[in-house]
Amino acid sequence: MQIKKLLLGLLLASPTMLWAQGSQVNTQGQKAVGMAGAGSALFVDETSIFYSPGALVKMDHNAVSVGASAIMYRSAFREFNSNDVHHTKFKISPPFSVFATFGPQNSWWKAGLGVYTPFGGSVDWGDQWPGRYELNHLQMRAIYIQPTLSFKLTENFGIGGGFVYNVGLVDLSRSIPIAAADGTPGRAELSGVGTGMGFNVGVHYNLEDDFAISLSYRSQVITKLKDGDAQFTVPPALAASFPNTTFEAELPLPSSFNVGLTFPASERVDIAADATFIGYSVYKELVFDYKDNTPVLEDTRQEKKYENALSAKVGVNYEASDRLDLRVGGGYVYSPVRGPYVSPETPDNNRMMGSIGFTYDINDRWDLTGAYVFQHILERTVTSANTGLSGTYKTNIHAPGISLTYKW
Amino acid sequence: MKRIFKNIALYIGILSTLVASSCKPEIEGFQTTSGEANFSKYISVGNSLTAGFADGGLYLEGQQVAFPNLIAEQLRQVGGGDFRSPFFSENERSGSGYLRLKDLVNGQPVLENVTDNLAYREPGKLSKHTGDIENLGVPGMRLDLSKFGPFSAANMYFERLLQDGDVGTKTYMDFATGRDHTFFSFWLGNNDVLGYAMNGAVTNQGDLTTVLTETAMFEQTYRDFIGALTTNDRKGVVATIPDVTAIPFFTTVTRAALIAAIKAESGQDVQDIYIETGTGTPRAASDNDLFVLPFASAGLLGSTSAESPYPYGLYPDNPVESQYVLDSDEVTAIQARVKAFNDIIKQVAEEKGLALADAHTYLNRVKDPGIVYNGVIVNASFITGNAFSLDGVHLTPMGNAIIANLFIEAINKQYSSRIPKVDASKYRGVKFP
Repeated sequence: MQIKKLLLGLLLASPTMLWAQGSQVNTQGQKAVGMAGAGSALFVDETSIFYSPGALVKMDHNAVSVGASAIMYRSAFREFNSNDVHHTKFKISPPFSVFATFGPQNSWWKAGLGVYTPFGGSVDWGDQWPGRYELNHLQMRAIYIQPTLSFKLTENFGIGGGFVYNVGLVDLSRSIPIAAADGTPGRAELSGVGTGMGFNVGVHYNLEDDFAISLSYRSQVITKLKDGDAQFTVPPALAASFPNTTFEAELPLPSSFNVGLTFPASERVDIAADATFIGYSVYKELVFDYKDNTPVLEDTRQEKKYENALSAKVGVNYEASDRLDLRVGGGYVYSPVRGPYVSPETPDNNRMMGSIGFTYDINDRWDLTGAYVFQHILERTVTSANTGLSGTYKTNIHAPGISLTYKW
Repeated sequence: MKRIFKNIALYIGILSTLVASSCKPEIEGFQTTSGEANFSKYISVGNSLTAGFADGGLYLEGQQVAFPNLIAEQLRQVGGGDFRSPFFSENERSGSGYLRLKDLVNGQPVLENVTDNLAYREPGKLSKHTGDIENLGVPGMRLDLSKFGPFSAANMYFERLLQDGDVGTKTYMDFATGRDHTFFSFWLGNNDVLGYAMNGAVTNQGDLTTVLTETAMFEQTYRDFIGALTTNDRKGVVATIPDVTAIPFFTTVTRAALIAAIKAESGQDVQDIYIETGTGTPRAASDNDLFVLPFASAGLLGSTSAESPYPYGLYPDNPVESQYVLDSDEVTAIQARVKAFNDIIKQVAEEKGLALADAHTYLNRVKDPGIVYNGVIVNASFITGNAFSLDGVHLTPMGNAIIANLFIEAINKQYSSRIPKVDASKYRGVKFP
């Protein structure tokens, strides 16, 4: 007896993967982290390569800094009408950054190189939670490499720009709703490396030591994953329908436009404020193109429909002594993700941030900067447009970090 | 200098403690309550679906995930007590025996019978179960036979639950009532239609399980049974009877599939399949005629025999026999009877203030357009639809969990209780080799 196209119903819902808002925890410079992300106009140092390329030329020295954060995403989920709260496993993702400047002192130009991680995260829900067929775990990182040049147009007005080369790494898994003889579900594992290009430009203007403004624009970076590795664990009878294959996908990392202001409040206190518009509307859909298709393993197209987002951050820098600066900051971020498109990778919503930080001048050559930012993603109850998973998410993000700078 | 570093170490220490303590976000729990109902002694009354029958048999794994067992598990959070089932022992875990998917050949299923670890004490008789139980589901139980004592000797699943002296005399209604329950689920009546429908709308002479129950008989027995269960204002949930066209048993083997099969096997370009209708007249089948699932493996189509030189089912002179097909008139008649039964069920539920799980409406929605449950496509397709087991009638563990949630929703709605739902994604569909 032939039952035509019997297996056509076994559609594998498309993998979800995105470099989303939730994965954007900016930890490029620990001074800015200590102010919840504000300070692009205030801090004129090697991290200006990222925050304000126009300010770079105003450095009166050269420096190399190395920093790292320990980002801890802690998400919880409770399915609608259920009493079971599921937590992500404890994972630390360690974004790092390296900034170095080159060029003559007090000249009309300065060059720099930044290697940093603007997007990255690690979330592991395991394979026992109600959304197991949407996601088990996701780990990803986008590493930007940015050579930068900055020029002084006048004594107070600097302009700069850099070229961005991105290397993106992703690794995710999910359960497949096909039971093996022992009753356990199948599993899909996808991993790959992609590359993309973009740029970063900015201007910085200051009125002597009083007031400064920074404008910067980071372009979108379309990261193309090619020859990603797709592996499926399914019962032997279905192995031919789920061949281990490769895939291609395109992930647009959004552009952002940042305005930063700073002014002194007293002899020892500076206040800085930053607003960032993030062009997430570029993220409309996610298409997965498998090299080998079968009736059950088809290319997938998943709607994302992101909206543009906005964040605002304010921080205070207090010069406690000649050698010690202390910082505190706060901020608010509007989510680009609409309710039905919230996914367990980074269950996004508007978020609040609070931070503290310090810089200690060990001596004329060495600085040590530390910071800690806490982000609370507001509780959100959603029903997924893609999977029907319905419930409440809540996320806390902790990111302590440290950096060491050598100046000459 | 040294002091500063010491201080930094201290700060990092304090910070780490802070981080560790506030790391896990908390979400306020779902406030459970039993509402107006008392779940301390829940009993489930019904047929194979209630017993956890699946894959053409009653076996331990199916019993453990029977929808009433999943409901009872959730009821523990709202004051539910023990819920015991007549489980087969681990040694006899295959129970009556059941179907297993052995292989897929060119995408088509090959089924086999599981015959080890069976629970027969002698042919046709299962190992007895003694001790109190709350899951009272008996595969094959019909409403019209629930007051008929001799059926307890004829039905091996019922016989195994009874003491020897009661076999052949005890009625199912007697068996199910008088147990001092505080809450019940009642899902009987399916077999009053299904026994007849699965036999191609043919009543075998002397076989009471293939009779189509008369509506008046149904109403009388239904009212009697519910009356007995609701004495002293006891509460419960009842369920409607699914449409026959909502289960893969009747929707998998279609006219088009049969024609395609003939073409694939012999290269013949067949235009029509001929069937014997309920009125005995042969005619060409239409897409509204439903073939039963076992016809797929009967090996009859296109065969010739000593009695007839015409290939079976391909000529009006040798049509597909009536017992393998529900012709469109029979489908219409059966649907009308199901509607009449469901009208009675809804009316009785309303009169008695009982919760109503409308399985008829819900399973029609599973069939068309289908549902997506937490990323799993669930529909009425055979094997791949995740809801129905290998017999095309009974539920998979996931199907049971989804039906358990349908009952829970109905109970919550009727009695203002808040019973948490089952995480159906924990349960499997069909097992693949």
